Order: sequence, then C-alpha cells, then structure tokens
Amino acid sequence: MLFGESGPLGGAAWTAPTVRSGWLQGLRSLAQHPGALRFLADCGAVDTIFSLQGDSSLFVASAAGQLLVHILALAMRGPAEGHPSPQGCDWPACAQKIVCHVEDSLRSTATLQVTQALNVLTTTFGHCHSPWTQGLWVRLSPLVACLLEKDPIPASHSLVDLLLSVARSPVGSSDCGLWETLAQTLSHLSPTQAGPLALGILKLQDCPQALKTQAFGVLLQPLACVLKAAAQAPGPPGFPEGATGDSITVDTFLSSKSACVGLLCQALAHLELLQLLPQRPSPWPQAPLLRAAVAILRFCHGSAAPTSDVGGHLCAVLAGCVRVQRAALDFLGTLSQGTGPQELVTQVFAVLLEYLTSPDSSPMVLKKAFQATLRWLLGSPKAPSCCDLDPHTQLFLGELLPVLRKRLCSPCWEARDSGLEFLTQVTRHWGGQAAFRHALLASEVPELTGQLLRDPESYVRASAVTATGQLSSWGLYATPTGPEHPEVQQESLFTELLHILSTDSEGFPRRAVMHVFTQWLKDGHADVAEDLEQFVARVLQAASQDLDWEVRAQGLELALVFLEQLLGQPGSRCPYAVALPEAAPPATLAQVLQALCRVQLFEFALRALFDCDRPVAQKSCDLLLFLKAKATPCGGPQEAGASPDVVSVEAALQRWQAGEQGQPLGELEPEAVMAVLRSMDLEGLRGMLAKSSDHMEKSPQSLLQDMLATVGVLGENEADCY
Amino acid sequence: MPEIRVTPLGAGQDVGRSCILVSIGGKNVMLDCGMHMGFSDDRRFPDFSYITRNGRLTDFLDCVIISHFHLDHCGALPYFSEMVGYDGPIYMTQPTQAICPILLEDYRKIAVDKKGEANFFTSQMIKDCMKKVVAVHLHQTVQVDDELEIKAYYAGHVLGAAMFQIKVGSESVVYTGDYNMTPDRHLGAAWIDKCRPNLLITESTYATTIRDSKRCRERDFLKKVHETVERGGKVLIPVFALGRAQELCILLETFWERMDLKAPIYFSTGLTEKANHYYKLFIPWTNQKIRKTFVQRNMFEFKHIKAFDRAFADSPGPMVVFATPGMLHAGQSLQIFRKWAGSERNMVIMPGYCVQGTVGHKILSGQRKLEMEGRQVLEVKMQVEYMSFSAHADAKGIMQLVGQAEPENVLLVHGEAKKMEFLKQKIEQEFRVSCYMPANGETVTLSTSPSIPVGISLGLLKREMAQGLLPDAKKPRLLHGTLIMKDSNFRLVSSEQALKELGLAEHQLRFTCRVHLHDTRKEQETALRVYSHLKSVLKDHCVQHLPDGSVTVESILIQAAAHSEDPSTKVLLVSWTYQDEELGSYLTSLLKKGLPQAS
Repeated sequence: MLFGESGPLGGAAWTAPTVRSGWLQGLRSLAQHPGALRFLADCGAVDTIFSLQGDSSLFVASAAGQLLVHILALAMRGPAEGHPSPQGCDWPACAQKIVCHVEDSLRSTATLQVTQALNVLTTTFGHCHSPWTQGLWVRLSPLVACLLEKDPIPASHSLVDLLLSVARSPVGSSDCGLWETLAQTLSHLSPTQAGPLALGILKLQDCPQALKTQAFGVLLQPLACVLKAAAQAPGPPGFPEGATGDSITVDTFLSSKSACVGLLCQALAHLELLQLLPQRPSPWPQAPLLRAAVAILRFCHGSAAPTSDVGGHLCAVLAGCVRVQRAALDFLGTLSQGTGPQELVTQVFAVLLEYLTSPDSSPMVLKKAFQATLRWLLGSPKAPSCCDLDPHTQLFLGELLPVLRKRLCSPCWEARDSGLEFLTQVTRHWGGQAAFRHALLASEVPELTGQLLRDPESYVRASAVTATGQLSSWGLYATPTGPEHPEVQQESLFTELLHILSTDSEGFPRRAVMHVFTQWLKDGHADVAEDLEQFVARVLQAASQDLDWEVRAQGLELALVFLEQLLGQPGSRCPYAVALPEAAPPATLAQVLQALCRVQLFEFALRALFDCDRPVAQKSCDLLLFLKAKATPCGGPQEAGASPDVVSVEAALQRWQAGEQGQPLGELEPEAVMAVLRSMDLEGLRGMLAKSSDHMEKSPQSLLQDMLATVGVLGENEADCY
Repeated sequence: MPEIRVTPLGAGQDVGRSCILVSIGGKNVMLDCGMHMGFSDDRRFPDFSYITRNGRLTDFLDCVIISHFHLDHCGALPYFSEMVGYDGPIYMTQPTQAICPILLEDYRKIAVDKKGEANFFTSQMIKDCMKKVVAVHLHQTVQVDDELEIKAYYAGHVLGAAMFQIKVGSESVVYTGDYNMTPDRHLGAAWIDKCRPNLLITESTYATTIRDSKRCRERDFLKKVHETVERGGKVLIPVFALGRAQELCILLETFWERMDLKAPIYFSTGLTEKANHYYKLFIPWTNQKIRKTFVQRNMFEFKHIKAFDRAFADSPGPMVVFATPGMLHAGQSLQIFRKWAGSERNMVIMPGYCVQGTVGHKILSGQRKLEMEGRQVLEVKMQVEYMSFSAHADAKGIMQLVGQAEPENVLLVHGEAKKMEFLKQKIEQEFRVSCYMPANGETVTLSTSPSIPVGISLGLLKREMAQGLLPDAKKPRLLHGTLIMKDSNFRLVSSEQALKELGLAEHQLRFTCRVHLHDTRKEQETALRVYSHLKSVLKDHCVQHLPDGSVTVESILIQAAAHSEDPSTKVLLVSWTYQDEELGSYLTSLLKKGLPQAS
C-alpha cells in the first residue's frame, strides 16, 4: 500500500522528478537500522527502487542506485556480518533480493540494465569494505566475466569502473582471478576504451608486474604509432616491448579524424597524469616520449615530413588541430621534470619556438606553449662551472626574447597577457642570473612591458604592472631615461604605478599595483626603504579612496606588513628573526605609534573597520587587534583619558559606523588612538564580522519572518528572473 | 538511426543555473554554464558529476557555448573550466566576453561576503577562463572542428545576447538562450532565419504571459521617481552592475532632459562606468535608434548621471542613486538603504529578482521591521516598489520565434513546469510539432533521418540527360545505377562502370514464369495470338515476333509450348530481366487473364 501503484506511484505528483528524488532521499533517511529495513522490504519499497534505477531522470536513477547499495550494506551489517557463503543461502532476504536483481540485470541483453547493475556494484565495492563483499564478488565475477565474451562488450565504461573499484578494494588483493580478468579486459577493449583501465591499473598500489607492463603498453601504443609514422629511417630504440604501434591502434588512427584525435588526446592526458605519480613505471621511457611529443607537435604544425602512409594520414588529420596541440604542449611541459639527451632537448626548444613564433597558434595554444617553455627553461641544467645558465639555454634565450617582444605587440590581448605572465615568471626565477639579465636588457622587452602599462585591455595592464614590478625588483626595469640614473627610473616607476592606482578606471590593474607595492615592502625594495614612511603614506592614501574592495583589503595587507616590520611578526618565535621582542619596549613602541600616525595608518584602518564590504572590515579588525596585542602588555604610552583627541576620534568612529564620511581626522596623537583601541570591543566586532551575511539571512528567525510575510503575497516577482 | 540527445543539468523546468547538454552527430556541446541565485551551497552550480563520469571532460565535451553574460547563464564557468577541469574552447559573442568578467567579479564578491569564501574562485581563474573564450560574430559560421559548426543570431535581451545554431552534417539544433522579441530602449528584437532545425531549444520564462506594454511600465516607473524627487525625497535603485541598469539610465536620462529636472542622478559603482564603456564600444549590438543617433550623440554618454561618492548619501535634497548589489544583501546599496529607510519621503525601487533571506526579498514581501546585524532593528518607512523590466519574450514572442525558425521539434527550458505545460500544448496544436519539457537530469532523445551525400558519375548523368528529360528541381526522378561504397564514400555509377571498377564479370539474372492457357491450336498460332494481343495492349513498347516463333517485349521473352499431358492446354514460358521486373510482372498478370477470342 505504501509503495505500490496505489501508493506514491499512482499519484500525479510522482510524474515530477523532484518528487521522486525527494522520495528516495526520504527513504534513505528512513533506512538507518535493520528494523526499518525489514519494514521497507515488506512493503515493496525495494521493488520501487529497482524500477527507479531506470528512471528518466539521471539524478533519480543515480540516487536509486546509491540507495540500493546503502540498503544492501545495511542488510549485510546485521546477522550475516562475517563471511557469508557465496551461494547466498545465509544472506538476509533483503540482500538476497537485491543481489538476485543485480544478477538478472547482468544477464540482461539490454545495455542499460547491465550498466545499472555495474554501477551498483562499483559503488558497493567502492564504499563497502566488509568481508561480505568478498562473497559477493565470488558470486558475481563469473557473470562479469561473461560480459567480456560478448562482442561488442556491453557498457564497457561501467565495466572498467567496476573492475577498478574491485581492484582497489580489499577484495582485489585476495583474488588472483581478478588480475587475469583485468588482463583479459585490457586486450578485449578497443584502444580508446582500454586507456582509462590501463591508467587505473598503473595507479594500483600492488598488482603483478606483467599486468602493469601490459597496461603501460596500452597507454604507449598511440605514441608508438606516431613515432613509427614519423620515423625517417630506423632510429634510436623506441618504447619497451609490447608498445610497438599495433595494427588495432593504427586502424583507429586511420578510421576517422575524430577517433584519431580522441585517442591521441586521451593517451597524452593519461601519460601526463602518470608521469606525476610516484608509482609510475620504471624505467620511464623519457626519450621516446619526448620524441613522440615533438613528433605530434610537428604533425600538428605541418612541419613534419612523413615518409610512411600512416605518417601522411596523421599529417593530414592533425594539421592545425588545436585540441591535440593543447594536449601535447601540456604533456611536453610535464616531461620537463625528467631529462633527455641534449639533441632531444634542442628539438624540444625548437618545436616550442616554432609554436611561439607561428602566426597560426591560437591564443590558448600560445599560452600553453609559453607555459611549457617556462617549465623547460626552469628545468634546464645549470652550467657545471658556475651558477649561471648553460650555453644551450643562453642560446635559446637569444632566440626567444625577440619572439616574446613580438608577442607583446600582438593585436590579440590574450597573447600579450600570456607573454607578460611568462616574463614575470621567468624573471622571478632568473632575475639574478647574469646571462638572463644581459639578454633581457639587450632586448626591448622591458621597455615594451612599460608601454603595456597603458594597454587598452585591463587584464593586460594588470599583468604589465606585475611584470614591471618584478623587473624592477631585480633592477631590470629600464625606462627611456637610460641606465645611468637608476634612482630617476625607480622614482618614475613608483610614480607611474601610483598614478595607475589613483586613476585607472578598472580594478584589475589597481589590485596588481597593490600587490606589487606589498611585495616591494616585504622584499625591502631599495627605493621603498629609502623613504619608507613616505611610501606607505602615499599608497595608503590612494588605497583608502578606492572603490574596489580588493584594493582596500590589499591596502590593509600592506599596512600589516608595515606593522610587522616595525613590531615583529605576530607570535614570531624564529630565533633568527630580526624582529623586536614580542612586546616592544615602551620607547620603541611610542616611536612606532608616532610613525603609524604620520602615515595615517590609523585613520585608514579605523575607517576600514566600518567598510561596507565585510572582508575589508574583517582585515582591518585583525590588524587593529594585532596592534592592540602588541601595545597592551607593556602598558603602552600613558593613558590619555578623555582628552579632546580621544573625544574627536570616538566621534569620528561613530560617524563612520553610521556610514557617514565626515572630515579626515588629520594629525592624531598615539595616546588617543591607543586609548580608543583599548576602549573598543574589537574581539566582539571580529566575532560579528566572522559571521557572514548568510548567517543573518539563513537564520531560523529570518526564515520564519519571510514565510509569514510571503503568505498572501502573489508570486508576481518570483517569475522575474534576471 | 542517428539521434539528438538533450539533457538539462540546469534550467529543466526551472529558472537558474542554465546548463544544457546536447549530443548531436556524435558531438557533445554544453549550452550555458550558469549558477543559481537562490542557493549558496552545492546546488548553486549544475551537477557536473554526470559528465565527468564519462571520462575526461575535455575529451568528452567538444565545446561550451555561452548565450549571454547573466550569471544564471555563465556564473559557473570559471568553476567548470578552472576547478572541474574543462580545458576546451568556450564560445560567446564579443560583448559577452568583455562583460562576463565584470559580472563574475561581482558574483565573487557576493560569495566572499555571503559565505566568507575568499578563494571561491579567484580573479586569476576568471582571467584564465576568459582566455579560453573564442569570440564569435553574428551570422558568422564558426567551424569548431571539421564536422561541428555553430552560428550566432541576435537575441535582444541584453547587450551581446545571442541564439546559437549548432550543426553537424545535416542535423541541427538552435538554442535561444534568453531572448526578447520586442525591441526596447537600447536593444533590438531577436531574429533568426528559417533555418528549420531538427530541434529548437527555447526559454519559456513568460510562457503564459502576454505582457502589458513596456511603455506602461516605464511610465509608471518615471512617475514614481518623479513624484519622489518632486517632494524632496531620495530614490534608491539597487541593481546588478549591468543590463537593466543601463536601460533604466537611458530612461531617466531622457526623462530628465525632457522635463528639465535638476535633481542629481548617481551611479554608485566603478564597475558600471566600465559597463557603460562597453555599451559605447559595442554600439553595433544596440538597436537601430541608438545606432542612428550615435554619430550626433552617444546614448551612453550620460549628461545627468554622475559617479557617486559615499559622502553624497548624506547631502540634503532629492537625488536618485543606482547602487550595487541588486538584492540589498550587503555592500553599498545596503548601506544607503539603511540611511534612507527611516524617511517616508524616500523610495526604493527593486527592478529585479531577490533571493529569499535578503533584505530585498524581505521588504518586497512587506516586512517593515528588519533585524540587522548586532541586534539592531531597522524600521522601514520609505516606500518600496517593485518594477519588472526583464526582457524576455512572452508567449506571443515565443510562438513568433517558433514560426520563424520552423523547427521539427521544440524543447522548453528556463521556465516553470506548469507554465511550460500550457505553452507545450499550444505549440503542438499550432505548429503540429512535438514539444518536450524535460526536468533537470532527464534526457530527451530524438531520432533524425540522416542525409548521406552520394556522388553521381558524370557518365550516368549524361546518359540520363540523353533520354531527353530536362531536370526539374521540384520533381524527384527515378535514376537507376549501382551504389558503390568505398573508403567511406558513396557513389552512384552505371552498372557497366561499376563492373569495370570492381573488376567483376556480368551475370544475367532472368525471372521465369509459366502461364497455362486453354488453347487447342498449335503452338505457333498461340504465339501469334499472344503477339497480336500484346501489340494491341502495349502500344508504347516494342513488341516483336521472332522467326523462331517467340515473342519479345523489350527484354521479355515469351515462348509457347504444348502441355505434356493436356493437348488442349498451352504453356507460355515468360522470362525477363530484373530491369524489366515491373513490365514482366504486368505481362504475366495480363496473360493469366487469357487471350481475347479471335474475331
């Protein structure tokens, strides 16, 4: 009655998938102990769940499958805990029913039903690790093995998932037959279907070496084919045995363009993942993989001269194929973790340069080419004699920088941006290398970077700000004023960045400026250190008026760095830290507070405390609490009492809290500020700010008010969406 | 049979987080990748696990298409591309590409504020995501790969909004995104050509509504603003940075100009200046009127609308302020609202949707005492108005678009189930096409008849021409030939050529049939009678009587023989080739009826 046709299934509401989904959720919360289970089983709920497995809604079908697993696990948790017999005579009735249903589905000729059964089993072996799963596998594995004998193999994707799930579970380690099944599956599936299984096998902690070799062979097949197709003459040794470019893979390559592209992309992605794993096959065929990646990129670029039929076909299919280019460049980048013979590395750089130079490279491909180049550059060995770059890298830099220069002038903003990002990264790592400095200064790249500070695209301006900031940190930012007056240049860059901070109409460049300034302050940039207070005061003044919340928040970040430099890290215990002791002695503290007043840090922080954007207020609260903690233990300057200064500060605070702007506070006395800080409940404020606005909106009281208010209101405005 | 499969992961019988998966001709395309304003937990994004289980996302999906910049259509994009890991191409129009990041930044801010999620998705992720975008022009056919092509059509709704046609071979789907069939103050009406797609996926927000004239709503809005300003009150209009804000700006600007009003109008956010900049940049996407007057004066160079400074909120006297965010849940709009709420002279106009729980939602549902943070209670005395300006097609507009595109099937998304049901019936009745309305997660499968291109040999065509019949495009004609399938190509050639190409010898296949006739005369005479009969019946055919006594009609051979057992019966042996199958059958049936009595 509760679950049959006369129950929910007959109701009109049942046609809505959300109702069915809700019904399943309800059942799931009901099915928490064996007693409830018996009730559900007796009422026919399990049959309804079976039928919902084939529901028209993916969400309902998936929830039904998961619920079945939950019920099965719950049923088995009861009296049959332990090692039930595979025949199932001692299994609880409910579990018996589910397993029989799974068995029937596995025998079905309808792929959909097989898929459902496989998915239920995958979840079961993925989540349940009790001994009974072993019995389950013994009982079902012959049926699963039968699926392998069909041609084509039904639901191959789900089958792969199941086999991997079993292999990862405790069942896998105790069942030798499983390895045979896996090996058999690998050889039965098409190359595209076998890829994910092969990767899954190679990720397993302990599985027989022979199986691993077979799986690795599957992943390498497509690249072996490429190598074979690209070979001009019998070349250097290729991949290990078992990966020689078999005829099935070749057939896939030749069958259609999408099959060829799909298989190659998949193989490249899988090998990329594998390369990063500690359990990757050893020895790792770095050299042939490199050759294959280079060959693929050349096929895509049209610079390969194939001699074989397959080669010609690949040339035609891959020419200009952005999808393969992206995958191959990512893969090539990952390969930079290993080494290779110099002749091969030279080829890698050559092909990367081809892509960076080519006008046909799409913006996305160009970005990936820059990323791969960066990885190869940073991975390249240092010259043995000194710590400078090796001659090959120096040679490459000589060719690369003109290309970079050209890209910085590209009409496409994505290209300019990727170029700037590359420049920033490479400078961050090599700013101190003499060869790099020399090559960079000889190119026009720094000047161009400076010009891009006025780019029409805000993203590019932001990247240019970051790049010039980085260049300047290494003394590499040159302006037309010439290198003989470094102090003039530096001043001009600071002014220029400050100008951007105060005038740029968009947030990204202004945020970038704040990041650069914070970094300069942290690094003790020579020109910042020259007049630290002046620098901080000017930056904070600009940041305080910014409309962008992130600029204001970053302003507080900069203020915190400044504070830490004056007062020491919060809770710093580092024996080498040059910071002051935890509580600064009063004399020093007084000086510090004076300095803070001079740069108007207090006014900035106190205003930010009532900022309409919560993250800004939160940061300011943290900063003031830090200051309060530093100042309080030693008593701080003398109590100021209710001096006129304190009164004016408190009045200003009240105005800001009410959202008014009011007049600037002007010169402040440190004593007054400290007195105000002590009197404020900053901890309470921090607690309140930590609760996001969701806290108010989602509170039961708010919900109740909304429900009460909504009664009787027409739904007119709910229809108006965006 | 090839098929088209459509699965909404969002916007199926629902409004919010539009995300529709389409499989067509072996290609998988994601249409929109939006978020749901009403949720701040997992449900805010479409459930992508259903596609990630199909293997690597970038391998499975051929492309993502974004119809316009509203967050319920693009809000999940950085999450999808930078966190879930989609690395393929994303297509959208140029204005959408330019404006999308602004909205996404706005959304990021809301997420940070509402949930404290500072690393929800970063600005860098938004940028990296935008770098994957390939911008498309209107009516330009973009080749995603060799087989898949897409084409954008103007959709109205908001700046840069587009409908997309997705085509693989002869199969095609059109996705409308959100659209508007009537022009408004700054945008034109949606338009599509008679592209006769297999399927039209259309939004159905106003499936049951025939909307009152927009003019009325505008008049109402202006009247309310004017009245408030006249009595010295302040008007707050909380908006999202883009979209409706621009339309309301044009509205107020023109009104201020016409009425020569002096009260200041302010825009509170830096973002909107940028938005206005884009509206100026993408003038070709606006409507004809704006485009025409553009040379004399750019509509978006506002004379009366100025940037807002926080200090202005305290100035005495009337003013109108546009402030973000649109739902009054945080930020500047909430700050101004708290200041102005206490005076009954002031007014707040909510021009859009508000999520439950937000201050915007509360005041719209009539609550007048709001509990704010820190146990403060805010008494709302100011007037609260709701004005809908959303630019969606109403029922009439949707029907109009279906009529324009002439699809074979229609699928409804982005609407409420009940309303969809009504429209579905209407569409099925009026256009006699099937209409579907899947819920989220439900798959609709449509079979399509494939059209397979076949090459025809010149020889065969020439021979056909030699028969004297001129080809007529409107009349199909029967053409005999041999279909050769080779290297996944189909060609129709003459049988001789086929034999030659395939290196095969010719075999003649003849059908034979015996017809028994009651005739006491000799065989030769029977044959002669058959000849005369056929000659008289088949006037258009060549009937011959051969010296050996047999009769031929084209390739059909008829011989008369005596019956071995019954001398009064003659047996006619009829044989024909397969080319004359039709005539052969006809002749046998004719002969079976017997011969006319000799006169």
